[in-house]
Amino acid sequence: MSFLRIQNLYKTFDRVVAVNHINLEVAESEFFTLLGSSGCGKTTTLRMVGGLEKPDGGEIHLGDRCLVSENRRLFIKPEKRDMGMVFQSYALWPHMTVFENVVYPLKLRGIRGHEAEKKVAEILGLVGLAGLEERPAPALSGGQQQRVALARALVFSPRVLLLDEPLSNLDAQLREEMRRELKGLQQRLGITVLFVTHDQIEALSLSDRIAIMKLGQLEQVGGPEDVYYHPATPFVRDFLGKTFLLPGKILGIADQQVKVAIQQFDASPLSIQRTNLSASGNGLTGVGQSVMVAIRPEQVELWAKAPEGKPNMVPANLQSVQFLGDRYEYTVALGSETRVLVSPASRYLKAGEKIYLELKSEGITLWPREG
Amino acid sequence: MAKTETLSPIPVIRSWLPPLNGGTALMAGLIGIMGFFVLYPLVLILINSFNTATIAEPPVYGLKAWRDAFSEYGIWRSLWNSVKIGIVLQVIALPLGIFVSWLLARTNILFANVFEFGFWISFFLPSLATTFGWMLMLDPSTGLINAWLRQIPFLSGLNFDVYSFAGIIWVHLVSTGVSTKVMLMTPAFRRMDASMEEASRMSGASAFTTMWRITVPAMTPVIVVVFLLSIIRIFSSFEIELLLGVPWSFYVYSTKIVDLARQEPPLVNQAAALGSIILVFLAAFIPIQRKLITRRQFTTVTGQFKPKIIDLGAWRYPATAFVALVIFVLDVVPLLSVLGGSFMTRFGFFNLPKTWTLEYWKMALSDPRILQGLHNTLIVAVSAGLVGAVLFSLIGYVLVRTKLPGRAALDSICWLPSAIPGVLSGLGLLWMFLGTPFFRPFYGTLVLLMIAQMLGGITLSTQILKANFVQLGKELEESSRMSGAGFWRTYLRIVFPLMAQTMVMVGVIKFMFAAQHNSAIILLATSETRTLSLLALDQVAAGYREVASITIIMVTLLTLGLAIVARSFGLKVGIRAE
Repeated sequence: MSFLRIQNLYKTFDRVVAVNHINLEVAESEFFTLLGSSGCGKTTTLRMVGGLEKPDGGEIHLGDRCLVSENRRLFIKPEKRDMGMVFQSYALWPHMTVFENVVYPLKLRGIRGHEAEKKVAEILGLVGLAGLEERPAPALSGGQQQRVALARALVFSPRVLLLDEPLSNLDAQLREEMRRELKGLQQRLGITVLFVTHDQIEALSLSDRIAIMKLGQLEQVGGPEDVYYHPATPFVRDFLGKTFLLPGKILGIADQQVKVAIQQFDASPLSIQRTNLSASGNGLTGVGQSVMVAIRPEQVELWAKAPEGKPNMVPANLQSVQFLGDRYEYTVALGSETRVLVSPASRYLKAGEKIYLELKSEGITLWPREG
Repeated sequence: MAKTETLSPIPVIRSWLPPLNGGTALMAGLIGIMGFFVLYPLVLILINSFNTATIAEPPVYGLKAWRDAFSEYGIWRSLWNSVKIGIVLQVIALPLGIFVSWLLARTNILFANVFEFGFWISFFLPSLATTFGWMLMLDPSTGLINAWLRQIPFLSGLNFDVYSFAGIIWVHLVSTGVSTKVMLMTPAFRRMDASMEEASRMSGASAFTTMWRITVPAMTPVIVVVFLLSIIRIFSSFEIELLLGVPWSFYVYSTKIVDLARQEPPLVNQAAALGSIILVFLAAFIPIQRKLITRRQFTTVTGQFKPKIIDLGAWRYPATAFVALVIFVLDVVPLLSVLGGSFMTRFGFFNLPKTWTLEYWKMALSDPRILQGLHNTLIVAVSAGLVGAVLFSLIGYVLVRTKLPGRAALDSICWLPSAIPGVLSGLGLLWMFLGTPFFRPFYGTLVLLMIAQMLGGITLSTQILKANFVQLGKELEESSRMSGAGFWRTYLRIVFPLMAQTMVMVGVIKFMFAAQHNSAIILLATSETRTLSLLALDQVAAGYREVASITIIMVTLLTLGLAIVARSFGLKVGIRAE
């Protein structure tokens, strides 16, 4: 049963379409992420859910309540939507202490005195800030400010928590820590979260489901593993991580497998499981068609000698090796092109030698190619 | 064989004196010049308040001046009047200024940019023009508005009198009382991070609750600074009280000093005693003000989002109409009435056989006094602008870019004039020029007026220049030094050209200041050295209203006209809140 429903949502800014008729359904207690590069409409969508922007068309429903409907000329103001929001800049009020910041939403709901103090103490304890109540908001570190913003958004037990790139202003180490805490907090409270980010690691690690957006439209909606291993479009494939691409041509199609010849250099044909084509198989017509073979770099294994009985081996020249501590980075020449691959530090290969790349067949996807 | 050498320690010469070189000499020179013209006149005022002899006579020390001054009821009264005007004015103007700034910067009010320009115009409109324009409208017997009211059936009993306490407050409000605050606060309000307001809305607060609980409190540091800037000017205000208060013997601090100094025989020592009280007050107040202004409590500025405009809903149109009315009262009414005053046979009489006339303009343009006044104004204002831009840019540069000793002292001297009432520095300079044999020959020449007007606006000029020097990349100068250019060559060939635009701006500001402000020069000018705005004051006092309109139009063209020209050339002539 969907909890938050977005129907046919549409928004323009000065005749530029920011959000182009999108439909989404978020379940209760789900951690749902809108992922995309800047200007894709993800933040605009979030702000329309919160009531900070008015849509030019479409509807948003929360449970059985309609929040905004262009047709019915209905618009619930942000203060009446009962949603908590954490902003990218945290937006803590500099003239208030931590306590005053967090108690503000309670005061507006008529909760005062002892009960309010209890709720604030509870939520500050939950985000790990107990004892900092009387600090002025600007006197806190970035990570602490982030926690205050989170506490302020959660203190009144909102029905939905909106997060607008809350981790992007933190340094890398703190970001990882906050990411883990955020996930734990969401699971403990069971709150519905709509999360906006441009960082695919955040999206993959935190979300129950991810919607990847591009130019105001949804490219794909699905679970993290689903969208990572079975991207529906080249954009999703390239946005979610690195891809290792080889041009090829379909040689034959069997019940279980598709045979693909690798062009431009000497390699035996690859065989690819047909089940892997389901996500990317659109537009594949048949034998003789030019295709791209795509695989995540971590599913390529490097061998000094071709091992017996393993399929999908591609010969290559190892141009240079760089030691990065926990792993090696290899620059590999395939015909006239070079690619960069990494492998664990446990295996060492020598620069200048011929090596073999094993493309794990479960990770290969096929994409139609022009020409 | 090991060579043994004893290394005798190099004797360290400790001295409180910095090493004597070009830099120190420059610093000493700057402090000397600025200190002499800013501090010495003030010291003279203090000393001479204990002197019972008049200027240029051998001093006789005693407490007579203080006794006389404070046994007179009128002197206490004038101090209290200044405070009273200051309080009433700020109580009305500050909330109004905050409200209008909020409307302009944070809401979806219509024509916000046009309105902001309107406040900018009001800021540069000489207070002489605003005052005189409203005198023509609200004179109890001849005022246009009163004449109209008399024709309206039920309102015929209503009659406004601009020559009253309420009239003075009203003219202060429409002159710069509101526009200064709007000009200073609107940019600060606009740069506030919109997500702070959005966070409040998401927490459950309405748009207006958000304004009261979040926006205005978050802006407190800016509001405090603006308030302090206004408070410290309480004793400086002059023209409005001179034109609207003196006719009914209502004196404030500055007009009282002028009155005492101009009596026959002049009571300059009493004036000095009155001046000294405020010097003591300012000596305590300026450090506090400076500390509060230079300290930044919290920054609310982010560059992430374009500020989101608050939707006023149904209130959008009433709010727009309200600000439009304010602009009408601030700009349109005074300008139209001053123009009308110069082209109408009798101002406000639309039913005369010959309503409009060029007669007064013909008279004015052939009047030697007006031409003399224009001549004097141009000389004083141009020299103030030129010297001001060059000298203050050097000061700003030395303060920002060098590590010379004495910078703190120089900086303090440059802060002082913002708080010293113009009348007081005029009185001090008068004493300096008449009491020092070397300077006495300059009395009665334009040199005095030039010096007095150069000192005005030092604080603003140096602050603008300092801010710009900070922004200018230091590497540009360092690479010049590395290329082999010395301090002066770097200053003249690199800094000067790069700062040219800012210096033109400072020059324009100083020119405008000199062309319209009277308080510093009123005690120094003679009938030969009167500037246009001084002449206008005399013309108004003598009742030559039509000719006064023309003189005031000329002053307005020299100030507001120049400001508009400068703005159209892309010079951002205005104050920023930082």
